[in-house]
Amino acid sequence: MNRFYSNKEDNPALDTISVWLYIVLVFIGLISIYSATSEVNQTFEFSFSSLAGRQLIWIGGAIIIIFTIAFANVAIIDYFAYGFYGFAILLNIAVLFLGKEVSGAKSWFGFGGFGIQPSEFAKVATALAIAKYLGTYGVRFKGTRNVAITLALFLVPMLLILIQNDTGSALVFLSFFLVLYREGLSGWILLSAVWLMLIAIARIVMEATGVSHLWTMGILLFMASLIIYFGKKNKQLIIATLFVTVVSAVFSVAVGFAYTKILKGYQRDRIELVLNLKQDTRNMGYNLEQSRIAIGAGQFLGRGYLKGTQTKMGFVPEQHTDFIFCTIGEEWGFVGALVFFGLYFGLLFRLINLAERQSTAFGRVLGYGVVCILFFHVAINIGMTIGIVPVIGIPLPFISFGGSSLWAFTLLLFLFLKVDEKRR
Amino acid sequence: MDLHRNRKFVYLGLFGIIAIVYLIQIFKLQLLNNQYEQKAINNALNKIPIYPDRSIIYDRNGKLLVHNIAIYDLIVFPGKAKNIDTAAFCTIMNITGEEYHKFMNIARENSKKRQKNNVFNGSAIFMSNLSKDQYSAIQENLYRFPGFSVEPKTDRLYAVKGGAHMLGYLGEASKKLLAKDPYYRPGDLVGITGIEHTYESYIRGVKGVKTVWQDRTYTERGEAKDNEFNSPAQAGPDFYSSIDFELQEFGESLLANKRGSVVAIEPSSGEILALINKPDYDPNLLVGDARARSFRQLLIDPKKPLYNRAIKGVYPPGSTFKTVMALIGCQEGVLKQSTLHGCSGGYHLGSLTVGCHPHAAPTDLKGSIGISCNAYYCQVFRDIIDNPKYPNVKSGYAVLEKHLRSFGLGGKLGVDLPGENKGNVPSIKQLDRRHGKSWKSSMIISLAIGQGEILLTPMQMANCAAIIANKGWFITPHLVKGIGVNKYLPDDFKKRHYTTVGELYYDWVIDGMELVTKPGGTAFGTGINDMVICAKTGTAQNPHGQDHSLYIAFAPREKPKIAIAVIVENGGYGATWAAPIANLMIENYLNRGKSPARPDMLERIKTSAVQ
Repeated sequence: MNRFYSNKEDNPALDTISVWLYIVLVFIGLISIYSATSEVNQTFEFSFSSLAGRQLIWIGGAIIIIFTIAFANVAIIDYFAYGFYGFAILLNIAVLFLGKEVSGAKSWFGFGGFGIQPSEFAKVATALAIAKYLGTYGVRFKGTRNVAITLALFLVPMLLILIQNDTGSALVFLSFFLVLYREGLSGWILLSAVWLMLIAIARIVMEATGVSHLWTMGILLFMASLIIYFGKKNKQLIIATLFVTVVSAVFSVAVGFAYTKILKGYQRDRIELVLNLKQDTRNMGYNLEQSRIAIGAGQFLGRGYLKGTQTKMGFVPEQHTDFIFCTIGEEWGFVGALVFFGLYFGLLFRLINLAERQSTAFGRVLGYGVVCILFFHVAINIGMTIGIVPVIGIPLPFISFGGSSLWAFTLLLFLFLKVDEKRR
Repeated sequence: MDLHRNRKFVYLGLFGIIAIVYLIQIFKLQLLNNQYEQKAINNALNKIPIYPDRSIIYDRNGKLLVHNIAIYDLIVFPGKAKNIDTAAFCTIMNITGEEYHKFMNIARENSKKRQKNNVFNGSAIFMSNLSKDQYSAIQENLYRFPGFSVEPKTDRLYAVKGGAHMLGYLGEASKKLLAKDPYYRPGDLVGITGIEHTYESYIRGVKGVKTVWQDRTYTERGEAKDNEFNSPAQAGPDFYSSIDFELQEFGESLLANKRGSVVAIEPSSGEILALINKPDYDPNLLVGDARARSFRQLLIDPKKPLYNRAIKGVYPPGSTFKTVMALIGCQEGVLKQSTLHGCSGGYHLGSLTVGCHPHAAPTDLKGSIGISCNAYYCQVFRDIIDNPKYPNVKSGYAVLEKHLRSFGLGGKLGVDLPGENKGNVPSIKQLDRRHGKSWKSSMIISLAIGQGEILLTPMQMANCAAIIANKGWFITPHLVKGIGVNKYLPDDFKKRHYTTVGELYYDWVIDGMELVTKPGGTAFGTGINDMVICAKTGTAQNPHGQDHSLYIAFAPREKPKIAIAVIVENGGYGATWAAPIANLMIENYLNRGKSPARPDMLERIKTSAVQ
């Protein structure tokens, strides 16, 4: 198996469509970063010390990563999956003691002028480890032990990152629930999660508008009695309904408590702003409003490359990292957004197809890992810039400025493409 | 083996739904309306008005009178002025906390209005006309106060100390003006009176707009070149006034320490050569940060230095009016050059007596003007209105009134200054009210000698002198000689207005006016050696004390260059003050560069006070 070249009859090279989409997205990221950090009416200027220049250096690093993976033996990936995972866990523990604090989160290793965020690599390592575990002969996502181990594999790094106080990055690990659905996780569990989320949102709305818990109880009891009345013969249904009602009620009270007593003020603000419970165009809401203005200003064809004032003039916060989509929306308009969605979701759909064509559980789980992590990032990140998801600071993969995230996502994508290349 | 292959479609569906929902939201933001585009523009573009220089004002000989100086306004964008350390701000600007809140509230109101109009970026003046100390102090500290900026504009700088009433002054645009004309922003300086007011639309020039990029911290990030909103400021065109400032200053020095007014007109063009009022003020008081304070002081000054007597003050014309009465008598055919009327110390009719000073009698027309015989004009007046040509006294009076109005009396002349007074030519109605329905000529006989209900402004008196100089016509007196390189002159100031009196009769009256400064004339001894000055003195009784000293004159007799009216309030005889002042000014204008022929008289007039 020690081949550098692909065999035509066996499998072709790395999936061409995915590689091209990756290249285009990274390029879009680079020019967007350049635009977001340039001055208005500036003639073309480039230096490696500028943010776009540094991103170009990171891209150089990413190319080295790609070639290393392309020419590596695929067996190494499988072989070192747990080792990589263990190393990532250690790094994420170490960062708690040795890391430096950046905007409230202790999640960075500083090396002189630049830093590395181990949580980014934890995603890759976790995806690999879960794939490896579920790909092990005889292991399936079934039975207490298997399920427990699988959950532990991603809940442990998630917990560590929560301790680093990097809530956004920690939430990304929830995307593994989505991966597990493909491996047999009951749809009821995901639906229950959605149900609980609805209850949480409803309770938060009530909490913010001062509606008593009694209302929640009343509504739940009313719904339960309707179900029981129309299906009165079915004992199982009655039991299930009562169970759900009780759990929902308890959960609702818990959410209310957590919302008022545990969440910090700014977190409550973020949630309330998205739920339209608060009109605030100055502080927290100012950022959201500016982000919406940036995208809205793009109109149909955009304001033109390098002409987006919302982003360059600093009205949009973090315009080159978490809010990079604003630059795309402002400068390229609806057409640009449409093309961008086409490219991004094109990549996701392509990766789903690649994942499905894997003959091993390892390949498939890894593929879905890549898909779900990317999807989670895109949904949260863009949802945040257009104001339908609370502000959660996670980057837009391949686009946002930053070495750690670019390298981690490159690693994630190309490890899977390499596995796909060598699929049997 | 793989039991969940179909679940692939759940992923595809979920991703597809999310993509569509997000695209719908983006669609809503981008394509439903352009409010966000507008907001983005308002965020990043600041339109800063560029104030043009106002016109430079010259006199008729090209002497510089008024030019400009840069001053500074403190501007605030209330929405951006957050977390201001008011205590520090007030210390720097030397204002109280109360003032700060007052200014901020006003700025907020103005800002809202402007945002509604979507004209500019909602910035408004916080304080205008900063003093030098305030300007340098705030300039250094601006970075501490987001939302504040300093904008330059221009204020007036006067090269002269006189001419205040004709030049006028600037003031901040009133609320009324702001509501009427969107060109102005609160705090803009506009002409309030004088030339500055009348020709505001020319003098102000055209404001320009400079758009600049500004970032979230309201720091300027360079000019937005090629922006559609950009336009350069256009300075007001050079303004040439008709004033002869040397004459103006000379006249002001003669009228010093007196109350009164002088108006001098070039008869052939209607150009005002001098417009003098005393008391007056130094125009330099009403500029810069002292403007408001000085203005308040001038306003409450009991001497009324802001009062433009020349066009607003009304006085009985006294004997100067006899010239006009004579002209009308001639036109009506009741008076000839040779007409003789006696005088026995006055005019007597039953119990009525109009007194006259002792003089040789009877006189002819010429002599009646030279010696200013009251009895003569009482007779002329009665002849005019009791003329058997007309059925009754009222119709006779109506004819007189018509003639008087053709001299521009009893109505606004249309001078290019705001607030002109009409004066008064009593209408028949007015006389009815005053004297009952059935009055007779004897009851209104004082009109004959310019007393009673008849009232003229100094401008109207000077215009009468100009009419006589022109022998029958006038051009509306005006202060503009030409605007801009093309020397634009409004058409109103090119048109001749003819009186209803024939040209021939003017020569008869002028013959008499020539005698006034000659031996036996009422102003003998005030003349300028052998210079021919056609004049008429007046001594007007008035309810405010001593008689007013009046004088109208023009010179030379042929091709007159200057017509003048002088009034010295409570100055007594016309020959005492008004005549020498007018004659000296005529000399100054016609014999410019020569040494004064009557230094004694000049010195006496300059140094005397009339209170």
